Amino acid sequence: MIGLVDANNFYVSCERVFDPALEGKPVGVMSNNDGCIIARSAEMKTMDIPMGMPSFKLESLRKRGDIYLKSSNYELYGDMSARLCQLLRDTCPAVSPYSIDEMFIYLEAFSNQQCQTLGEWLRRRIRRHLGLPVCVGLAPTHTLAKLANHLAKQATHYQGVCLLTGKDAATTALLKQTPVSSVWGVGRRIAERLAISNINTAWDLREADLRLLRKHFSVVLARTALELRGTPCLQMNALDQPRHRIMTSRSFGQSTGSKTEVHNALRQHAQRSAEKLRQQRSLTRAVMIFLNTNRHRRDQPQYFPHAMVPLPSPSDDTRTILEAVHQGVEQVYRPGYRFMKAGVMLLDLVDAEQHQLSLLHQPPRNRYPYLMATLDNINQRMGQGTISFGMTDADAAWQLRCGHRSGRYTTRWDELMKAGTHPGAIKQSALRK
Amino acid sequence: MSLPPSTLVPTLPLTSQPLPFSSLQGRAGFSGFPSPAQDYEPRTLDLNTRLIKNPTQTFYLSAAGDSMEGWGIFDGDLLVVDRSIKPRLGHILVAMFEEEVLIKRYALYQNTPHLCSAHPHYPPLPLEGTECQLWGVVRAVIHEYVR
Repeated sequence: MIGLVDANNFYVSCERVFDPALEGKPVGVMSNNDGCIIARSAEMKTMDIPMGMPSFKLESLRKRGDIYLKSSNYELYGDMSARLCQLLRDTCPAVSPYSIDEMFIYLEAFSNQQCQTLGEWLRRRIRRHLGLPVCVGLAPTHTLAKLANHLAKQATHYQGVCLLTGKDAATTALLKQTPVSSVWGVGRRIAERLAISNINTAWDLREADLRLLRKHFSVVLARTALELRGTPCLQMNALDQPRHRIMTSRSFGQSTGSKTEVHNALRQHAQRSAEKLRQQRSLTRAVMIFLNTNRHRRDQPQYFPHAMVPLPSPSDDTRTILEAVHQGVEQVYRPGYRFMKAGVMLLDLVDAEQHQLSLLHQPPRNRYPYLMATLDNINQRMGQGTISFGMTDADAAWQLRCGHRSGRYTTRWDELMKAGTHPGAIKQSALRK
Repeated sequence: MSLPPSTLVPTLPLTSQPLPFSSLQGRAGFSGFPSPAQDYEPRTLDLNTRLIKNPTQTFYLSAAGDSMEGWGIFDGDLLVVDRSIKPRLGHILVAMFEEEVLIKRYALYQNTPHLCSAHPHYPPLPLEGTECQLWGVVRAVIHEYVR
């Protein structure tokens, strides 16, 4: 059996662990820069506030105290996700994280009844030990497990744990009720095309002719149909597999036309990208930078430049990458535009150990692996950005806006959760300071 | 007869650098005395392993207020809270009580379980009939005299 453990409204749930007063209230988490809603509590979902709703439209509701909005606190969510994963690893034979709030567990050699019991036990344990509510879907394949998880969340009678054997009448009945668009890997487009071929439910897809699916759609969809029949044919690639490109980009807190500010933002993204590059032990052969103006401001001049700077030899040295970024900015920056977003992408990556030295070029002179390793070490131990190249200005317009961020309770000593020794003690002690 | 290239002989790296050669100017080595304690595997004590039995379930909190001083918890102290411990009488707990996060001792008072403080101003809070939710059990308190 394969299980999918998925945290309910993960970001909101993380906020609630450390601020239990938010329990039972409509809570939303906003995107980077407090732009729009990216996560909602069940209470907020019933208020007809959709995903992606711009935050400024909710400002009056927030001020009245009808809803609670939080800036995204990725340090906290990342730490809680790592704890969730570790807790599963402590108890399950194999775990692979699929996203920040979804983990697959692999339970070979367990009977269905044992899987059900384990699922219920895990759910209770995660709730008690980490404070996070989760649902568990169990099935013979990834696709069915995903569906089972969806059902565990939707239908309350499952009490958070749903097991589909894939072959019994219950699975059949459920697949017949499930629209094909709810199946993992079936997008809206494909669902529309499937509807033309009279495939409307998950059951229809399961029963469809595999050869026709392969011919008219794709091998991937044929595999999905097989998975619905209970034949496992998807395998998860490890998340930590080296990536072929690395990108760091972010929207600015406020748009800016200043070259220095744009350059500084890019410098910071370049340093973060270089760190990711070294973490996966790769070298980059080209650096791309890009800038975006605000597409939605029709009244302002628009400009979406990018520049590609090839490196003379593959490198993972932050300074080489910063030099390339500098060149790129010189190439494409034009005054008179208000930029909204900037990003750095490292392309054409090669394995640091296996890369071919060029016959024509000198071996790279200024590779100081120890310098970079020390830098990464310090930043990992003492927090990101402890040491960086050039000064970064914390008040710069391009820095993230996060006016409503809760404490980074598990990663910063000076932002711990507070507990009072008596009612009102937290407020009193805050006043004294 | 030519022999196949031996795998035992390392191939030389292709480099423009001169290969190192030994010379008479090489230094003679001398060694220090081995430590007589080397067989006793010195593993320095680690406070983490003593105070944190379940790292995944352990959270740090900061205490606020003076009414637990009788049990050694002062304002600003660091609490090591383990959420995996089952609470028992006598434990110090972090619990949600009427929308507030409180540190209290879980104890019997007039033969029923109460959340008690160490201060006469704050009478024990009865657990029965209230919506009190456990957050975690305080495993240790760290009071820093010099910061």
